[in-house]
Amino acid sequence: MAPTTAPMQIAHREEILTLDLPYCEQLAVGRTTFGSGGPRVAIVSGIHGDEVEGLYACHRLARWLTELCRTRPEALLGTVELYPGLNPLGLDTLQRWVPIFDVDLNRTFPGDDTGILPQRIAAAAMAYLEGTGMVIDIHASNIYLREIPQVRINQDFAERLVPLARNMNLDVIWVHGAVTVLETTLAHSLNARGIPCLVVEMGVGMRLTPSFTEQLIVGILGLWQELGVLDRSVVIPRPDHIPLLADDTNVHYLNAETSGLFVPGVEHWRAVYAGQVLGSIVSAHDGETLSQIRSPVDGVLFTLREYPLVYEGSLMARIVATDTVPRGTA
Amino acid sequence: MMATSALLRMTAPMRRDFEIPYHDLGDPDQPPKVALVAGLHGDEINGVFVLSRLANFLGGVDLGQRPTQKLLGRIVIIPAVNVLGLNTRSRTWPFDKTDINRMFPGYDGGETSQRIAHAVLQVTRDARYRIDLHSSNRDFEECPQVRLYEPGPRERSTAFLFGLPAVVERPSTSLFTVTIGHAWQKLGGENFVIQAGRAGSLHLPYCERLFRSLVAFLRRTGTLEGVELSEEDEDSYYFGTEQAVRLVSDYAGIFVSNLEPGRWLQAGDIIGYVYHGFDGHIHGEIRTPVAGLLTGLRRQPLLCQGDLVGRIHTP
Repeated sequence: MAPTTAPMQIAHREEILTLDLPYCEQLAVGRTTFGSGGPRVAIVSGIHGDEVEGLYACHRLARWLTELCRTRPEALLGTVELYPGLNPLGLDTLQRWVPIFDVDLNRTFPGDDTGILPQRIAAAAMAYLEGTGMVIDIHASNIYLREIPQVRINQDFAERLVPLARNMNLDVIWVHGAVTVLETTLAHSLNARGIPCLVVEMGVGMRLTPSFTEQLIVGILGLWQELGVLDRSVVIPRPDHIPLLADDTNVHYLNAETSGLFVPGVEHWRAVYAGQVLGSIVSAHDGETLSQIRSPVDGVLFTLREYPLVYEGSLMARIVATDTVPRGTA
Repeated sequence: MMATSALLRMTAPMRRDFEIPYHDLGDPDQPPKVALVAGLHGDEINGVFVLSRLANFLGGVDLGQRPTQKLLGRIVIIPAVNVLGLNTRSRTWPFDKTDINRMFPGYDGGETSQRIAHAVLQVTRDARYRIDLHSSNRDFEECPQVRLYEPGPRERSTAFLFGLPAVVERPSTSLFTVTIGHAWQKLGGENFVIQAGRAGSLHLPYCERLFRSLVAFLRRTGTLEGVELSEEDEDSYYFGTEQAVRLVSDYAGIFVSNLEPGRWLQAGDIIGYVYHGFDGHIHGEIRTPVAGLLTGLRRQPLLCQGDLVGRIHTP
């Protein structure tokens, strides 16, 4: 007789913070938990209210975990916590910052449980994530730039995090310099407390890129298996992306020389060569091309502007210099 | 010789090219003695108004229209850095919503707001005294005060030359490291942030007070001679970082207060009441637990649980 799964509650939903709003409503920040005991891992998304890629990743993971718990509950050896929207007011009103306060939630960590609303959200998240073995904080760039799936790591934590990120099935690992202001992010606050946190950036604000999500999920499941959250016998897709390693020495920024309408001339995540035309800035008032953008190096275009209007200085593209075309992108 | 210059000229995607102008008063061959900046946030109007009026006054002095008064040092005045933000009533740089006062020290090859920050720093870098004027946000009103972040002894003493009611020392935070105040600190000299009023509104009594305080500062630092200083302003008090008490509401609802910032309070005095938004009953009253100067007061009536309603500085 085949083992039966009781009609139990597979996922446990709870609110990690509630706060009264001025008129009749409450702000509530929620999390969903699968399993209990064993190694604890967490996914955080929706810190910025205009970034929704992570919400979809949470949905896909929740669906996968629900199916696993229905069919092979014994294979979930640890606890998975999903925090799909840390900034629910921002998400529900399409605002990047925390509405009312116009505060970037990701500049308020580790927070203050007696402070204003954003500080209390940050403090609640930190309290609930305490003791977690691995946190992945999923971001989706902003409305201006499209990013290839990548992990961003502060150089202060690179030694511990880069090996974890290598198996995430993403295309770029970007180790960036330590900047004091970034000490107020969720990732820095967790890493500084010894809780490993990887920041994933992928896609573009206000949009979903389901193929990126599927790519990321393969990496997340593999990482969870490595960490003992999933039993080794669980079959998960093989990673098929090998990351390029980027840092401050090989990432090149292309900022607009003049203002106008940026029209890309190449596809995102393509190998480019030094001198290649990547796009143009044109005038909407007449037929003039105001500027041509050329690649300064041989490399791969891993950031490409999505929103076409540019001011002088607006970022249009980022290129990681390479000697060879990256593998795993076909 | 009075001159209007541009610290930055830039193209725009669809509008005309634009510039960020500033006043350059006094001997152009000397490095600036005093640099005054306002309008880093486009919705903070008090500072813009005060600096434009000050430029008007000092311009007259510079042109010899006030024979008894004389400029003894060069003064740079930027009434508004975030020009487009001011014209579109936006706190941040409107195009990409970046806060210009989180972009310092800036970078001339970087994003637009980094370029603006870089240009502001270039124009003000050689000044001995640098002053950045702000209002609070749209929800909160601050009484006129000088703010110091990790000051040296000279700044602590010079801050009293403004004659404002409060000199407040604030803790430096990670966020402060990307502000103009921090960028100035790295350059040396003496640097001050002045707060007065509330974003989105013009508070005339505060503006008059600020105008007098800046004129007094210029005279007391030997930058301007021949002006009579008013004796009517009250004493200044110095408050260290441990002397600030934040008043936070445990209730959500509608906050009502009839107090004015700048008032001295006794312990137990009522700051205001919180009414339930739906049925109108009084949720609770907010009292100050300490005696002190009410340096800031909430002006936005809609209140979330945990919101700041006031700030008291204890003597």
